[in-house]
Amino acid sequence: MFDKVLIANRGEIALRIIAACRELGAKTVAVYSTVDRDALHVELADEAICIGEARSSHSYLSVPAIISAAEIADVDAIHPGYGFLAEDARFAEICRDCGIRFVGPSAEAIRLMGDKARARRAAAAAGIPVMPGSEEPLGSAAEASALAAEVGLPVILKAAAGGGGRGMRVVRDLGEIEGAFRRASAEAGAAFGSGQVYLEKYVERPRHIEFQVLADERGKVVSVGERECSIQRRHQKLLEEAPANGMSAESRARAGEVLARALASIGYSNAGTVEFLMDESGDLHFIEMNARIQVEHPVTEAVSGIDLVRAQLLLAAGEPLEAAVPGPVEVRGCAIECRVNAEDPRTFLPSAGRIERYVPPGGPGIRVDSAAYSGWHVQPHYDSLIAKVTAFGATRPDAIRRMKRALSMFVVEGVKTSIPLHRRILESKPFLDGRYDTRFIEEMGL
Amino acid sequence: MPLSNEDRESIEAVADILSRKGLAELEFERDGLRIRVARGGAAVAPAATQVQAPPAAAAGDPAEADESALLIESPMVGTFYVASSPDAEPFVSAGDRVRKGQVVCIIEAMKLMNEIESEHEGVLAECLVENAQGVEFGQALFRIGVG
Repeated sequence: MFDKVLIANRGEIALRIIAACRELGAKTVAVYSTVDRDALHVELADEAICIGEARSSHSYLSVPAIISAAEIADVDAIHPGYGFLAEDARFAEICRDCGIRFVGPSAEAIRLMGDKARARRAAAAAGIPVMPGSEEPLGSAAEASALAAEVGLPVILKAAAGGGGRGMRVVRDLGEIEGAFRRASAEAGAAFGSGQVYLEKYVERPRHIEFQVLADERGKVVSVGERECSIQRRHQKLLEEAPANGMSAESRARAGEVLARALASIGYSNAGTVEFLMDESGDLHFIEMNARIQVEHPVTEAVSGIDLVRAQLLLAAGEPLEAAVPGPVEVRGCAIECRVNAEDPRTFLPSAGRIERYVPPGGPGIRVDSAAYSGWHVQPHYDSLIAKVTAFGATRPDAIRRMKRALSMFVVEGVKTSIPLHRRILESKPFLDGRYDTRFIEEMGL
Repeated sequence: MPLSNEDRESIEAVADILSRKGLAELEFERDGLRIRVARGGAAVAPAATQVQAPPAAAAGDPAEADESALLIESPMVGTFYVASSPDAEPFVSAGDRVRKGQVVCIIEAMKLMNEIESEHEGVLAECLVENAQGVEFGQALFRIGVG
């Protein structure tokens, strides 16, 4: 194992990594920006180094600052957490060149998964089901029309260079496809400087299901089960649960086997998450792979009993998969995570400021991951996550009961939080029935 | 009027005494030359060793001592070097007059040697960091007196 690990992150994930390092007997080095001087990760790490100004580009995203800090602190490894430099292939490469272990996949794997079109091709080639559609940008309106007839309607046209919903067009009638293609192409050209458009089968009511994987550097891969993350607002996950509603042990095992084989053939190592879109008939279609630890990893830890961050550190240190996952993976019970953000629960606008009083819940089956405390300032420079509350129960109703109880006993004063929104979700019928999809928040009438 | 070598030596001598005795401020006057060296912050001399300037020569408010001491802070995290190479002379030493924009040290970050320039004008009172020591962003490197 490593003697000393630098944590290139802040907030709750930095504390989560400190916790895993402490259990493994590794010393920790926190880095921080000038506004995070009073942050808990700075206090609780063995050493702390100020690396720059508040702006992320001058601190948590500054490769030279973080590498210099790693060098003066003389660490063996850097854990990037999630966000910031976690999926920066160049950073992983620089770590390697500097003789520092990057806790994550190889730079090559990060680069592959970062390029959505290449990742999709690699997934398909390795046997992971992908959404039917065009592998390459469409050449003409006629081609679009022929392909739409082949995969079946509805379809979606997407700008190759697009994002955030721009340059997207759903087509439900074959007669509209040629016109839609010309408009999408023109729009994409104007907005992104490239008129390239892809076509994909469109799912009206998709669910977001993702599989957690762990892999060592000797080609051994295991799936640690799935999470359901369909409760989203503008592609931001608000509540996640494991297992996914209605997922049978057989389907889980089958998907896990496909993923293990595919990722071994790609040469993936460390932790990762394969995101799928599940259609109305329950079929999974690959969306992308996140080459890092996810925010919502605690739900998987709760139902599998596997410490994923500890696993990441062991695997990055070259340990075999058995060191991180000693026996066969078993999914037991149900876990739900609520992401408590400092934001107005109605307008979703961030609510930065001083937390006057902070009393987190506890008790049976409740885990809180947070870097907040009474008197702490929610910084406007970074994301607005205050705490992740994870409830575990033998059954889903048990987990829901515990989550409701925990949120009703969570005191946060001074800033507005999303707790009222979470409490409404936990009372809603589709959620209680375990029958919901990514249109859940929109249909709640917020 | 430019500083003569003789002036420089006098200033250095005064700064040396200030530094050795752990004084906060020291003023010296001879033949129309008045040298006042000060450092701000916590360093306060024990009363027994305090050197009092003659009342006639005392100028300004005593509080000025703190205000007149400025810090040069590290603009980056890295390793601090006093000179351009292990054999070279330090860029600056205590007692030197420092101009704005003058190179005062090097901070190495990711194998790049970054020349750090003074943002202030004045007399270098103290170097606060050991050679080849790691420094963080915003760490005070030098104290400059501008009295």
